Amino acid sequence: MAIVSTDSLSYTYPGSLEPALSGVSLEIDEGDYIAIVGANGSGKSTFVRCLNGLLQPPAGAVSVAGADPSTPDGRTAARRVISLVFQSPPDQIVASVVEEDVAFGLENLGVPRPAMRDRVEAALVAVDLLEERTRSPRFLSAGQQQRLAVAGAIAMRPRVVAFDEATSMIDPMGRAAVLGLMDDLVAGGIAVIHVTHDMDEAARARRIAVLSEGHLVFLGSPAGLFASDRLDALRLARPRSYSAALALGLKPVIGEDAAALGHRAAAELKSAPEFRQSPTSTPVDTAPAFSLKAASMSYLAGTESERLAVDAVSLEVPAGSVVALVGRTGSGKSSLLQLLDGLALPDSGVALSLGVDTASRNVDLRAVRMRAPLAVQRPESAIFEAYAGDEVAFGPRNQGLSGQTLVDRVRAAMDAAGLPFDEFRDRQPRTLSGGMKRRLALASILSLDPDALLLDEPGSALDPASRAEILNLIHEYAGYCTVVAAGRVRTVVMSTHSMDEAAAADLVAVMKAGAVVAFGPPARVFGDNWDESWGLDRPFAYQLQAAMSTAVHEATFLSAAHSSAPAYVKAGGPA
Amino acid sequence: MKGLEFWKHVSIGRYVEADTPVHRLTPAAKYLWLLALMLSASMSGSALVICISAILPLFFARLARVRILFLLRGFLPVLPFMGLAAVFQVLFSWPADRSTVLLDLGPVSLSAREAVAVVLMALRFVAIMSTIGLFTSVTSEGDTARGVEDIFAPLARVGFPARGFALMIAVAFRFIPIIAGEFESVVKAQAARGADFGAGARGPLRKARAYLPLIVPVTIRALERAEALAEAMEARCYGAGPATRYVDTTGGSADMVVRVAAILYALGIFIVPVLLAS
Repeated sequence: MAIVSTDSLSYTYPGSLEPALSGVSLEIDEGDYIAIVGANGSGKSTFVRCLNGLLQPPAGAVSVAGADPSTPDGRTAARRVISLVFQSPPDQIVASVVEEDVAFGLENLGVPRPAMRDRVEAALVAVDLLEERTRSPRFLSAGQQQRLAVAGAIAMRPRVVAFDEATSMIDPMGRAAVLGLMDDLVAGGIAVIHVTHDMDEAARARRIAVLSEGHLVFLGSPAGLFASDRLDALRLARPRSYSAALALGLKPVIGEDAAALGHRAAAELKSAPEFRQSPTSTPVDTAPAFSLKAASMSYLAGTESERLAVDAVSLEVPAGSVVALVGRTGSGKSSLLQLLDGLALPDSGVALSLGVDTASRNVDLRAVRMRAPLAVQRPESAIFEAYAGDEVAFGPRNQGLSGQTLVDRVRAAMDAAGLPFDEFRDRQPRTLSGGMKRRLALASILSLDPDALLLDEPGSALDPASRAEILNLIHEYAGYCTVVAAGRVRTVVMSTHSMDEAAAADLVAVMKAGAVVAFGPPARVFGDNWDESWGLDRPFAYQLQAAMSTAVHEATFLSAAHSSAPAYVKAGGPA
Repeated sequence: MKGLEFWKHVSIGRYVEADTPVHRLTPAAKYLWLLALMLSASMSGSALVICISAILPLFFARLARVRILFLLRGFLPVLPFMGLAAVFQVLFSWPADRSTVLLDLGPVSLSAREAVAVVLMALRFVAIMSTIGLFTSVTSEGDTARGVEDIFAPLARVGFPARGFALMIAVAFRFIPIIAGEFESVVKAQAARGADFGAGARGPLRKARAYLPLIVPVTIRALERAEALAEAMEARCYGAGPATRYVDTTGGSADMVVRVAAILYALGIFIVPVLLAS
């Protein structure tokens, strides 16, 4: 029996000409588990917001347990049935104490206090946050905050919980916990709607709906979707295990993990699979681009709330390399990037940025920062000019460029970032899609003609195609020296929560509690040196490799497998 | 950390959890005493009342086991203004001031009346600053908001949006670190591209020019964040109907006595001097 149904639902934002949703008809049953995927701007969030009346759908287009959210009464009824968990963890916390926040929805429903206490406690137990009940949500990790949001949702005893990209801003462990909660909900008979860009996550659902430019273009099983040849056109990708199985010439199985696929591969493949050497560019043997010597840094030094963010880190980043910085939320990645860029200065120790000691007395920090600019997390939120061209010109103007040189520089940067200058210079940034905004933010640091790029989670919250494009752009930038400007060496340091992305870098640095606990080529960090206590998600290729080598003990295969990661993961792009 | 640092990590207020008679008071009782003391310190003309309102918060602070020095530290930032006000008191004589001259330095003289005025002004400041300091030390963020709801509860019966008002205060608390964080990310994004932040820019004009372009993006982001929070609140049925309260702030009979005492005190400081004078 359908609990949510839409009947040719269309929605156009006020002031917009293009509809965000057009003619979407969908039925979601009680206890269903459906994933909604699609490119940035395809209407996924709009769809979810129409279900509970955050956006007002046309009368009669939506029915939630018999209520029509286009009316005020129906809206309240719909919100009792559907709880929503949003993308950004801190933006959905209302109260200053964990248990009070869980109670917020119940207060609004007018639940009497004794009943409220029981329900809050049960919800906190369900998300494993009971011990934190009297703490301030500010001091929770992003993953814990998202579990708190889930607790607030389930305390209301909804029949449907919708997750709107709720796993996109948290680290692998936090993500696994939230996905586990979704399974618990489904097992308890509560329907789950999961809006996501991650195909591995989408493959967990029973059904997948694909939105493209506001239209429902696919509705069916994950197996049906991933067997389709329209994935590229829809800007989607395949789950990691699915692509890996295809690459190995095996029949793909939805939801199969690396261990299972590894065993199957070992059993079914007569000949040893062909592992190609991954194309790691050997870093040019010169002075390091960045060098930290026992550098430490803390926030609010000298006060009661002092917090050590970077703990005596010594690290040398070879010029010309691409370094991936990985670690759990709060492990110090962003702070480390700021030390490299001179936005933060070490409290003790030395930070050399392109050979310049950032803490020395008469250093020109502006010049240092412009040679190795940092793109902060979600850099598009810091876009401030009215026109794309001006945004890109901000940096070079600060370098003192003007006239034709300035225009040439801006043109080159925008072209390189995939936003052709002639077409995009006069576009307003807020009218661009999420992926294009991210490109614009990249263009506006590329226009500085820097020697290094420091990128804080450059691929986060993008659809699979945009993500792959941005990563290609970064690797192209880094590889530029070998092609065009001989003698010019370019370095990239980027943080990421995707270990598969990190595996494509030249070097990987693992951070834990402010310290760098491992640093080396991905084959070593993710291979022999892999440590579960880092709290990370091992790259799929390495999981698979480990599974296969435990299953097969053929000497020939082992020697081939040890050399490096299988290349198909890179060829297929990050899933 | 050196370089660019913001208040994103700073905790708001000085609340430290403790179990003392003062901490246990309901937020409404704390608010009533806050108002009563502020009123007596700022409005009363009586020297005795001003002295009492400077001493009372220090007495309460002892009960609450809050360090008195810690409270008076809040007094430091206003010291320069105090000094300036004192100088004006001394420089400009009161009209028809016939009190004894305590100190005579040619054109400038300090009369007894001026001396008393300076001391009383200082006491008023001490009273106000330590009262506010004590209130924020013993009242959590949540109680600060709930207290407003309780104080306005009688008005809620005639349609005053007491809960909305309290929630507004709670959300304002929430937004201080959020805005600071947005400010930080915009400043960092611009500093990384050569804007003049934390790179030794001197001169107020240059600084102002560097910060001016931040107003637009920070405001837009703050509005976006506010909208996201509003959506999250609405999705959790905010405004769906009559609401209940998770935290109980009714208080017992002892608390009621404290509340009544605050009201009596506020009335007393104005009535007693009048009675004494007549």
